Amino acid sequence: METGKKDMSTVSSSATRSLRAARRARAALTRASRRAIMTAAVALGATLLAGSPAHAAPAIGQKAPDFVATDTQGQQHRLSDFAGKFVVLEWTNPGCPFVQKHYDSGNMPATQKAAASRGVVWLAINSTERAASDFMQPAAMAAWMQERKGVPTAILMDPDGTIGQAYGARTTPHMYIIDPKGVLVYAGGIDSIASARQEDIKTATNYVNQALAEAFGGKPVSAASTRAYGCSVKYKSS
Amino acid sequence: MNTFARRLLAPFLFLMTAGYAALALAQALPGGPAQPVLTTPHVRAELVAYAPQGVAPGQPLWVGLQIQHQPEWHTYWKNAGDSGLPTEMHWTLPPGIDAGDIDWPVPHKIPVGSLANYGYEGTVLLPVPLTVSPDYRPAPLARSLPVRLQASWLVCRLECIPEEGTFTLDIPLNGSLALSADAFQAAFDARPAPLPDAGAVTVEGDRLQVRLGGLPAEAQGRMLEFFPETGELIRNAAVSGRDWTQSWQGATWTASVPLDPQRAVSPSSLPLVVALAEPRTGEVPRAWRVDAPISGTWPGPAAARAQVSPALQAALAENSAAGGPVAGAPVPTTMPLAGASFALALAGALIGGLLLNLMPCVFPVLAIKVLGIARQAQDHHGHRRAALAYSGGVVLSLLALGAAMLALRAAGAQLGWGFQLQSPAVVAALAALFTLIGLNLAGVFGVGRLAPDAVLNLQARRPLVNDFLSGVLAVVVASPCTAPFMGASLGLAVTLPSAQALLLFAVLGLGLALPYLLAGFVPALARALPRPGPWMETLQRLLAFPMFATVAWLVWVLGQQAGIDGAGALLALLVCLAALVWAFSLAGRARLIIGGAVAAITLAVAGAIGGNIVREAPAAAVASADARWQPWSEGRVAELAAQGRPVFVDFTAAWCVTCQYNKKTVLSDPEVLAEFDAKRVVTLRADWTRRDPAITAALAALGRSGVPVYALHMPGQAPRIMSEILSKNELSAALARL
Repeated sequence: METGKKDMSTVSSSATRSLRAARRARAALTRASRRAIMTAAVALGATLLAGSPAHAAPAIGQKAPDFVATDTQGQQHRLSDFAGKFVVLEWTNPGCPFVQKHYDSGNMPATQKAAASRGVVWLAINSTERAASDFMQPAAMAAWMQERKGVPTAILMDPDGTIGQAYGARTTPHMYIIDPKGVLVYAGGIDSIASARQEDIKTATNYVNQALAEAFGGKPVSAASTRAYGCSVKYKSS
Repeated sequence: MNTFARRLLAPFLFLMTAGYAALALAQALPGGPAQPVLTTPHVRAELVAYAPQGVAPGQPLWVGLQIQHQPEWHTYWKNAGDSGLPTEMHWTLPPGIDAGDIDWPVPHKIPVGSLANYGYEGTVLLPVPLTVSPDYRPAPLARSLPVRLQASWLVCRLECIPEEGTFTLDIPLNGSLALSADAFQAAFDARPAPLPDAGAVTVEGDRLQVRLGGLPAEAQGRMLEFFPETGELIRNAAVSGRDWTQSWQGATWTASVPLDPQRAVSPSSLPLVVALAEPRTGEVPRAWRVDAPISGTWPGPAAARAQVSPALQAALAENSAAGGPVAGAPVPTTMPLAGASFALALAGALIGGLLLNLMPCVFPVLAIKVLGIARQAQDHHGHRRAALAYSGGVVLSLLALGAAMLALRAAGAQLGWGFQLQSPAVVAALAALFTLIGLNLAGVFGVGRLAPDAVLNLQARRPLVNDFLSGVLAVVVASPCTAPFMGASLGLAVTLPSAQALLLFAVLGLGLALPYLLAGFVPALARALPRPGPWMETLQRLLAFPMFATVAWLVWVLGQQAGIDGAGALLALLVCLAALVWAFSLAGRARLIIGGAVAAITLAVAGAIGGNIVREAPAAAVASADARWQPWSEGRVAELAAQGRPVFVDFTAAWCVTCQYNKKTVLSDPEVLAEFDAKRVVTLRADWTRRDPAITAALAALGRSGVPVYALHMPGQAPRIMSEILSKNELSAALARL
């Protein structure tokens, strides 16, 4: 609001001064100083990211996480090595009565053989920690599998539990099926009756056989997520 | 006694004893070699009964299996959790007697590393009610009810042993069997009590929101433990306060529990038990049970979308190398933040909002506000109200945007910040708006002559509404420029529960509005501003040009989205709009004739080429033709990571000014490019101009929801995210580490 008392020259000089001040202020925000502010801001921003959570177990329909592990023969394998094929992941631990139920009865070796005949890659994974009472050395693990006539493509040793945690494997046995595009299509138990009795195997539905039959028949997997039963995976406690 | 009798006594006594022993033995073993007790190396299991009034219809009659565990061994609840099997019972009873289900006492949560089970340690009694029907006729001469139990259980410490046993027990028909009364009473006390209110469970994103009312007054305000009776549903290993939260609102208890990513069931109701986490000794009841109906949409199996697997693998490798615990917390499931880190996130949001004022897209609106303050330099009261109205506009519109984003997140849409400028229609509308404002500033038309008197007076009386609306405008334009703090805060907001996310948005708005809020309240600042004078008109004309500059930028953005035809059509329509607006500022017949003619031309142009604006440009025009910057895809990153090549991914979008700035400066610098070549880095560009869901997912996996994001994937390490304003030195330092 003008007072009217000021004369034009005062007004114009104050106006020019303020305009110049405004211009200078704007110039002060040069690239360099703005960058300095931004860099300082980023440093603080990075600390916010530091607290962000890591990852999740994949859900059905999501990409199965890649991993690398050494098998009982000392060879390295990556999940991505088998791109283009169906891959079955079987979490196992010979010390668990539920694993014994399926191996001593011949059920798991038969499922492995049926899968192999279709060209499916079968990876048996042992995520038992080294300090566990039933930890097996690679040679002993291979011998146990051979004794039971199991025919997996490879037996992977995962004593740090990295692969198990990535997939959210909870029990032994816990089965996962990955399609040729690398997408998880099945996660759950080996069959439908949760018990440690061998006599329940013949009356139960073998979910892995069923899922593979559906997948090779071009149909979607009907029971894609089922109850996984067994002993808990003996993860390394951190 | 004579000698004859004495000679007969001994054998007679012997026969009597033998016969009695045989009889007793025969009575004690009715069916087979089973007893009420079984002792194994891990448990002592016993079949017990409670029949204080004998066996008769209508009288309480309970049997149960009492399991005494060896230290460190446990058996399982009806939902065993991540592994294990619940104890099973099969009863053999005479006709007329029926056994009910096990009345499970409240369990304990038994964590096993990153997994968890629900079960019992020490001594537990699993009671089962028996009902005696009126038709029950005991066998002749029988004085007891024979009960036979075949039970199997899984007992574990670290290793698991499945065990089973057969038990028999006789319950006297008359008389009272109350030897185990105390044990049964303890089991009854440990039973969850039913609640009158069934409560409600809602599926929200990847979590279940549980709401229970009607809990008794003694329980209110206390920590509860949560036990779902349905298995394969939630993440059992969720830790209270970190992975799942609970709170009390008066008499209502609410909790937010994470779903298992590999859940096998989508039930319509959830029977659940809640128990006092710290019950006082002898407190009864200490647990409650409801069968809560579930509403909401279950997260469906995700379509085969890309997830950042190399980042995952690298992060895993990093985690295992560091030997730290794998969090197992999903991204982007909502995970509430604890106090300190949330306060830090809020501070970051505030500073981010402040910095947003400096970004080139907010500056024009800034300019208008400067003008407003200059005009009202003496009016302190008006200043304060205006400042508050502006802040209100900013905060409320950011909250509205945040709420919309949360609603869409809940609906499962793939969304990220800046979504408004991904739609060509919105870009065109904004361009028209800014053109109008620019023309108004340039003096082509005055608002006074366009609007009827009533509206004018409204505006005069309610200048606050103008300030409020300019606050809203500031937000609308600011959205795509993600400053460093905003990027991190927003990425975080997507993962937070609704309340925390909205608070974060509000604080962001506060930061954006803060300069004007302060200017409004601190008279010194207002006084520092120049006094009004003729210079103001010059300034007003001058400020028209930033407006037109913004229009030019928006036309360029539209060009990226809809191609050159779309940009041309928009320009033509803007010219028509300018002419129209000027025509309506005329008076009398001139207004009618010229206005009518221009309106007709505008409609013709809109009809002819207006469609180009919303039509999408051919993909070839959008994708980068540069041989160095290859198109990004999830598979490509995985492929390159497997080959051991470092990958630099530029997540960019046409409407993102910061992205274009970086693209033209640091990312085109020959020295930087030479360094990329020297380290054999493959450069990929992910163009998010058109809301590609694969890219949205990849951004989310990196903890961001907006662009720009620069990620350097180094083999064997977690992906390194660079700052939003790239600097040559930062990039060189990161590359040097390869």
